[in-house]
Amino acid sequence: MLTPGEVRVLGLGNVLMGDDAFGPWVIEELLASWQFPDGVRLLDVGTPGLDLTPYLADADTVLLLDTVKAEAPAGTIRVYSREQLLSRPPEPRLSPHDPGVADALLALDCAGGAPRDVILIGVVPGRVAKGIGLTPAVQEAVVRAASEVVERLEGLGLAPHRQAPAWPAAPWWEGGRDSAAPSRPLTSP
Amino acid sequence: MTKRIVIDPVTRIEGHLRIDVEVDGGVVRKAWSSGQMFRGIETILLGRDPRDAWLFTQRFCGVCTTVHAIASVRAVENALKMEVPLNAQYIRNLIVLAHAMHDHIVHFYQLSALDWVDVVSALKADPARASALAEGLSKWPNNSRQQLKAVQEKVRRFVDAGQLGIFTNGYWGHPAMKLPPEVNLLAVSHYLQALEYQRKVNQIVALLGGKTPNIQNLAVGGVANAINLDNEATLNMNKLYMVKDILDETGAFIEQVYFPDVCAIAGMYPDWLGYGAGVTNYLAVPDIPLDTKGGSFDLPGGTIFDGDLATVRQIKTFDDWYFKKNVSESIAHAWYDGEWTKHPFEEETVARYTGFEDSKKYSWVKAPRFQGKVVQVGPLAQVLVGYAVGHEPTKRWTDKALETAGSVAGAGLTPAVLHSTLGRHAARVIRACVLSELARKHWGLLAANIGKGDTAIFNEPVFPKGEQRGFGFHEAPRGALSHWIVIRDGKIANYQAVVPSTWNAGPRDEEGRPGPYEASLVGNPVANAELPLEVLRTVHSFDPCLACAVHTLDPGGREIARVRAL
Repeated sequence: MLTPGEVRVLGLGNVLMGDDAFGPWVIEELLASWQFPDGVRLLDVGTPGLDLTPYLADADTVLLLDTVKAEAPAGTIRVYSREQLLSRPPEPRLSPHDPGVADALLALDCAGGAPRDVILIGVVPGRVAKGIGLTPAVQEAVVRAASEVVERLEGLGLAPHRQAPAWPAAPWWEGGRDSAAPSRPLTSP
Repeated sequence: MTKRIVIDPVTRIEGHLRIDVEVDGGVVRKAWSSGQMFRGIETILLGRDPRDAWLFTQRFCGVCTTVHAIASVRAVENALKMEVPLNAQYIRNLIVLAHAMHDHIVHFYQLSALDWVDVVSALKADPARASALAEGLSKWPNNSRQQLKAVQEKVRRFVDAGQLGIFTNGYWGHPAMKLPPEVNLLAVSHYLQALEYQRKVNQIVALLGGKTPNIQNLAVGGVANAINLDNEATLNMNKLYMVKDILDETGAFIEQVYFPDVCAIAGMYPDWLGYGAGVTNYLAVPDIPLDTKGGSFDLPGGTIFDGDLATVRQIKTFDDWYFKKNVSESIAHAWYDGEWTKHPFEEETVARYTGFEDSKKYSWVKAPRFQGKVVQVGPLAQVLVGYAVGHEPTKRWTDKALETAGSVAGAGLTPAVLHSTLGRHAARVIRACVLSELARKHWGLLAANIGKGDTAIFNEPVFPKGEQRGFGFHEAPRGALSHWIVIRDGKIANYQAVVPSTWNAGPRDEEGRPGPYEASLVGNPVANAELPLEVLRTVHSFDPCLACAVHTLDPGGREIARVRAL
């Protein structure tokens, strides 16, 4: 259950679509290698579209991890402020996937419960298409993005502590640790 | 002059829905519905352990996560002819019901209410009159003059600052907007309150599913929720009562806010109870099982043909041959290699993109058929089947909706008006009311069963050598979802998901018959081709969810609706 006033680190993306798994991957990397103090919550939220709102609501700071479209080589990390995320008006929607981060933030601005601050840590993807696994450039960006998250948390007075990796770095969807059903190891085909 | 309108939103999602309509004389004459992304994601499952399939299928779509998990475990259980302990059925039912209520509330307010509600007009409302009007429709306590005035001032601040925030993308002042300012103000107020209930219901899924949006508690053969009433870490009375409180609060919102709002809008836009019927063959699958093997259900399923409720034929079990035999998919107009129509067990998914050609292939979505017929799925199908078979709560809420909307419209309404654009919204809220009652019922069933000392949650699946075939269905928020699996020597040899938006958004088939979206748009009025609000109304009424995939934030932005003269 989410707690008001906490700092949330949210990984966005589809783990079945190549580099789109970047956000969830960084969450796995952080959970494996760091211990976090109370008041910090890390979540792999997938591709919730309109359903992102509950995960932003009542938070202090939200650090979003996602892929971004930008004119830069794959693996480049770009950091965006809340103002940059809101710089473009929302667009007409056909499906509940269409609304994005900006829509969810604006909804909370209006209804109440908007987070105090939002920072997007984005990576430029290489290959976004059906299939499991990151391209080398984006894989290499995972640790850099994790360090960026750690620095931001230190800046908020919520420094995590490094630990020996609690499980192999590969997440469950790549046949590694079975975080979703801990009783049984997953096997890759 | 004929004009072609292309609605092609490009936001953070790639793999979205594209709608093309040809308008002549202010009326839609032809329509095309196109899924713009390859949906052959099932191939990721080939060779995997069937016990893991649900973990992957719940990642098909970030909005409909739990529904793909549920359909997947049911498919494997069907292939193995397994039963599931009662506690597991009830826990799954509660997750499914909570997810659906959440989804219906969000769909109506956040995705489609602004097709009917003019936010800017709410500035002209008299909050006292709006409050009195609300009192006549509902006993909801949060419709006071002070509360409505506060909402109005909030909207005014946004407008005065030259920006409407979340409301920016509406068609304000469009000639097709007809609600009086007071009703617009009430609706805006409820839009904001709905966000709070979106958060609340989500907590039920988190309490029972371990985590949202991707639940962790499922297993082929049951659930992984250890039950021990004395243990903080397991499912206990404390958690169960938290679930109960949220169900009660959400039920009140659905019955006292969502229900009267939809009835009022239907009564004030009576024309839209006439537009948008399209395909009047319907398919719904039964759900909310009451026993361990899926032989009796709290929500009926079945088929209705030609809009005639007397033709209803029920689907009765998780192994129903009438359903199993009659599903097929056509790729005549979809970007796959070949021209075939096949049963899901026999399908192969070989992509072959050839560009958008009106009379040839123009979509990644296949065209599913039932007994060879085009059918519509979704809450309307489910409510009509329930009504036709005399399902008590469905009949009671449907009659109440028709009566309430009829009194607003000043005309008697019959179930025939449900075959329409606003009929789909009415059916969705009728269903939400029924689901809310069922959620409280199944909470009671779970508590009573645990009270009897039954803590069983899981039966171990056993995979024999050789081949097994199974299918699992779920009446998801957007309609009949089915997963089809072929298992060979304990590994997945074939997997197909036939999803609700495929039934509804599918293209023409080998005989050129249009899909439900396409058929429902023909005959819709379009007052201003540059602002095709009416097209959005009908498309939104289906609650499309097509992307089932990727997103990349795009700081650039692109045009949304293109209009060109033909």
